[in-house]
Amino acid sequence: MWQQIAEIYAYREMLRNLVARELRARYKGSVLGFLWTFFNPLFMLVVYSAVFSHVMRVQVENYAMFLFVALLPWNYLAQSVQQAAASLVQNAGLIKKIYFPRAVLPLSVVLANLFNYLFGLGILIPALLAFKIRLTPTLLAFPAVLAVQTLLVAALALLVAAGNVYFRDLEHIVGIALMAWFFLTPVLYPLEAIPAEVRGYFLLNPMTPIVDAYRALFFYGAWPDWGQLWRTALGGAAALLLALAGFLKWQRAVAEEI
Amino acid sequence: MDAIEVVDVWKKFRIYHDRVYSLKERFIFRNRQKTEDFWALKGVSLRVPRGATVGLIGRNGSGKSTLLKIISRILYPTRGRVRVHGRVSTLLELGAGFHPDFTGRENIYLNASILGLTRREINGRLEKIIEFAELGEFIDNPVRNYSSGMYMRLGFAVAVHVDPEILLIDEVLAVGDLAFQEKCLARIRELQGQGKTIIFVTHAPKQVAELCNLAVWLDRGEIRMQGPAAEVARAYAEFMGGAAG
Repeated sequence: MWQQIAEIYAYREMLRNLVARELRARYKGSVLGFLWTFFNPLFMLVVYSAVFSHVMRVQVENYAMFLFVALLPWNYLAQSVQQAAASLVQNAGLIKKIYFPRAVLPLSVVLANLFNYLFGLGILIPALLAFKIRLTPTLLAFPAVLAVQTLLVAALALLVAAGNVYFRDLEHIVGIALMAWFFLTPVLYPLEAIPAEVRGYFLLNPMTPIVDAYRALFFYGAWPDWGQLWRTALGGAAALLLALAGFLKWQRAVAEEI
Repeated sequence: MDAIEVVDVWKKFRIYHDRVYSLKERFIFRNRQKTEDFWALKGVSLRVPRGATVGLIGRNGSGKSTLLKIISRILYPTRGRVRVHGRVSTLLELGAGFHPDFTGRENIYLNASILGLTRREINGRLEKIIEFAELGEFIDNPVRNYSSGMYMRLGFAVAVHVDPEILLIDEVLAVGDLAFQEKCLARIRELQGQGKTIIFVTHAPKQVAELCNLAVWLDRGEIRMQGPAAEVARAYAEFMGGAAG
């Protein structure tokens, strides 16, 4: 297995190029081009702040930003997993003709979405300032939270990518499962809104501490709950190793199955 | 030392009549899932010494391409094992992963990295690849504007500059105009001169006799004959002549 991980590393240039292809080709030919990467989160923000400050009043102060700081990382997860599910099947032509470590395909999807999330910060940070939310040194915890989330996202991406080759319904199931997961994660609402007696179950959801940590460091200017985050990191690392082991086992027959 | 060692390799394909992928269909047709086993390779063993050029001949469906794909790790053998010593590059398709909106130059990076090169290695070969492809200033145009010949030239230029120790080629030489084919053959001879190991699949015995020193004749998944290229090519040509007449 370590040998195969080393091989993925040897193909880092392919990974890099696929990510670049993903980021650049998506908006190629459109007038605004790469700027769309920024416009998407910007429009999202405009719509949310209009709706939640004028149409639907929520008890949370600055609700648009409360939502936005959690929605960006959620989109990173959701889009990565959704696109990863299709990544092997979509590249069937390549897989049947050339040998390369297959994990490069779902991993490139994850990295491309990671970059999209980082570009989204280019909107998020000015927006936080515009809404007069004080930025504090707790932002320094951001890379740690992002790393923990990426472990989890990569694990899921590998699993659904391999699974979808053998069982094509998975792509659609993933869409529904992500929606349910979205409502079960405190993105739209604060963790405190969950009744105390069931809150324990919500903390089993690995995205709960992650979203909570992002919200703490961006929105409340507080440090994340390190103990909680550390446990999630260990769980995420274990999940990634298992997912990778599974992927390496399943990838052998991929060229015949797609 | 052998560059490639294939030991008693068997490959089974499962042929699905109406392949069922989804949950609903799996449930509805659970008793109707018809499959048939097809053995594409039946106990193939061969050794390729380092620096040899081996021609793999046989009719359509004889298992040539399957064997090539197993050696290049695209497919895995059902039984048996394959040992390969050295970096392998496979030419099954030219221009794999080319993006139509990217320029020729950008696609060189993309394509070469899919073939396993690092950035530094690509930078070192970029000039040679561009020169070989003979695209002139088109190299900085999107490949969407290329003719199919230009596309192939660029793909071939990248593939033969990967500089592998072992090169596997699957009937790609049939592309391009005569002049370019000549150039490809010249490049293959150059690689032979550098001591590279080459396996190439064809059904033209003439090419085998010209280019190879060894040949393997596959027939219905089994090796019918292997040995010096000229002998095998002659036997195959006679057999095919007999079969036709």
